[in-house]
Amino acid sequence: PPETRAAAWARPRSGPAPVTDVAKLCVCDLLVAQCDVNCCCDPDCSAADFSLFTTCSVPIVTGDSRLCSQKAATYSLDVEANPPERIFKLTDQVNPSVFCIHATNYKQALSFRPPEMPTSENFDLFLKRFGSAAFSAKPDSWNMNTDAQNPSDANETYRYEYGVPIQTADAFLRLPSPVVSSWCSDANPAGFLVNQATKCTRSVSVEKCSNIQAVSMLFYINSSILAVPKSSQMVNITVQSIVVQSLNGMRTLLNGSDVLRPPVTLDELCINIVLGVSYHITYTDAGEIIEAAASFVLGAITKEALSIQQSFDISFTQVNTTPVPLSGNPGYVVGLPLRAGFQPQGYPFPTEILFAALNTNKYSQLTILQSTSNQDCLAAQGARTPILFGYNMISGCQLRITAAMKCQPLTQTLLDLLKGQSFPEYVASFGNSQAQNVLDWVPIIHLRTSEQSDNERMYNPFQSACQIPISLEIEVKWTKYGSLVNPQARIVNVTATITTTTLKQLPPGRERTIPVTSSVVFTDISSPAEPGYKAWPTINIKLPFDFFFPFV
Amino acid sequence: LSSLPLQILFYINGIYYIFYFLVTLAMIVYKSQVFGYPDDFLACDLALLFIMAILEVLRLYLGSKGNLTEEEAPLGLSLAVTLGSVVLSVYFLVWQTYVLKADVILNSVLLCAYGFESVLKVTAIAAFVS
Repeated sequence: PPETRAAAWARPRSGPAPVTDVAKLCVCDLLVAQCDVNCCCDPDCSAADFSLFTTCSVPIVTGDSRLCSQKAATYSLDVEANPPERIFKLTDQVNPSVFCIHATNYKQALSFRPPEMPTSENFDLFLKRFGSAAFSAKPDSWNMNTDAQNPSDANETYRYEYGVPIQTADAFLRLPSPVVSSWCSDANPAGFLVNQATKCTRSVSVEKCSNIQAVSMLFYINSSILAVPKSSQMVNITVQSIVVQSLNGMRTLLNGSDVLRPPVTLDELCINIVLGVSYHITYTDAGEIIEAAASFVLGAITKEALSIQQSFDISFTQVNTTPVPLSGNPGYVVGLPLRAGFQPQGYPFPTEILFAALNTNKYSQLTILQSTSNQDCLAAQGARTPILFGYNMISGCQLRITAAMKCQPLTQTLLDLLKGQSFPEYVASFGNSQAQNVLDWVPIIHLRTSEQSDNERMYNPFQSACQIPISLEIEVKWTKYGSLVNPQARIVNVTATITTTTLKQLPPGRERTIPVTSSVVFTDISSPAEPGYKAWPTINIKLPFDFFFPFV
Repeated sequence: LSSLPLQILFYINGIYYIFYFLVTLAMIVYKSQVFGYPDDFLACDLALLFIMAILEVLRLYLGSKGNLTEEEAPLGLSLAVTLGSVVLSVYFLVWQTYVLKADVILNSVLLCAYGFESVLKVTAIAAFVS
């Protein structure tokens, strides 16, 4: 009947009664009605089982050892007997300390507090206290703290701080990212000053492509950003540039990119699908956002496509500054590009010395020739790859020399090819060297060697030989600088060696192919570190001059 | 004539009681740190220890004065206060929240001292009355 059931629910059910008899207590007895291996106190084990044990996992069971005298049950295996048998002894253990507990008059002194059992009356209270992901011992104090904080915030001016989600008119600026699996989740807010780049997968279909919000440009520039949190000042997101990617992967930058392009179905394709968004936020040092721009990559999908991969990133720039990416702080980090620059005219006059175009312009980095698939030096488009610290690189191409080529233009072309358009003069010795500290920059030393041996040169001393450069080797010597536990990489010397070879005049109609190589080698010239130990302190005691006055 | 053994016993009791008081106080502090000691039990034990100290001072003063001036009234009063001290000592021996072995030793010695003193006080009173 329901009344008795309700009554039974209301009565608090207590846990099982605690076992205090040491002879009956067995913590290794886990299997019910079965013998546990190596458990000497298990009552389910017979003498035959004991003979198979190797050791006793629980050798002794005692009460609280702080009592003056308590019962102890010891279990051991007598391995000398044949078959081995278990020995069980019930002894009295005496605590010899003078501070052992003789008696207690406080019942709960030496045992754990029994937990409160939930009943239908106190269930709601327990749910409120323990139902969330974390709970503290004093739940009431949490509520009081948050109430006290809110009134004091009213007069504060708000501003964005690092990591705070960027607020928009309705919610937060979203940066879709993969959560658990690789599918896009739109609930990831962008944090202020947190540069993020994410890639995730979105499911699409050509039929419904104009209905899917997340592939349309409007979704990403719809909401306007609040300039400071909890304010009414809005900053609209402008479209900075649109790049259209064709089905075979070729990208073209569109002119006049202010127009919003919604996805449209065209024949069997759906074009203007958003494949990537790049947000650029400009902020002031007071924590206010003043500009927001988004660059889009739009693509097209065919009928068979079921999902596309979208990539998103966000970067922050302080207003009126140009960011100079550091390659380490202070030592170079492996994998970051070498920082290089030029010395402006007018040095060493004490004007402000600023190295021009540091790394913000791609063409003033230290770069080497990038090998292309067709391996023809003269047809190379001028593709260059920046030199990354710690990565030894080698690249090259094949040079086809015909009889018609003249020496001087060929030399100049090869020199341009090997060194690039603007080969810098100085390399920063630390990853964060400032342009104003001239001593922090290492000049590049240029060397020229010839491939021919001395003997050959002696045979033809007077022939005006044409020397063409065919190899550039940049050797960067670096050392470990700083503390033993956290050494920083510091560039000490950069040497660019150009190897030339003699171009022998070819008979007309003949061709020759010579390989042209360029390489970068990083050499660690740090001397082995010796740890220095401090000298033992010495006790410096001297008696005063006239200590033995009457006698000395 | 004043009882000399009684006076010696009073003097030794005084020194022993100072020692007893300090050690018992230190042990209550130790117990409160090492074991779980609810606040009301702790307050009860400390209060009784201080009451016992006051009673002891009173008892020794009255007894010593009565013995030296050979008057039976202060000695009788001292005997009555001894009863209270005995009860408190038995509390610390048996009914305290945590009774350690050191407590047992200290309180047993104190009770023996009280026993001897009581006997000597009774004989002194008998001597003074007659």
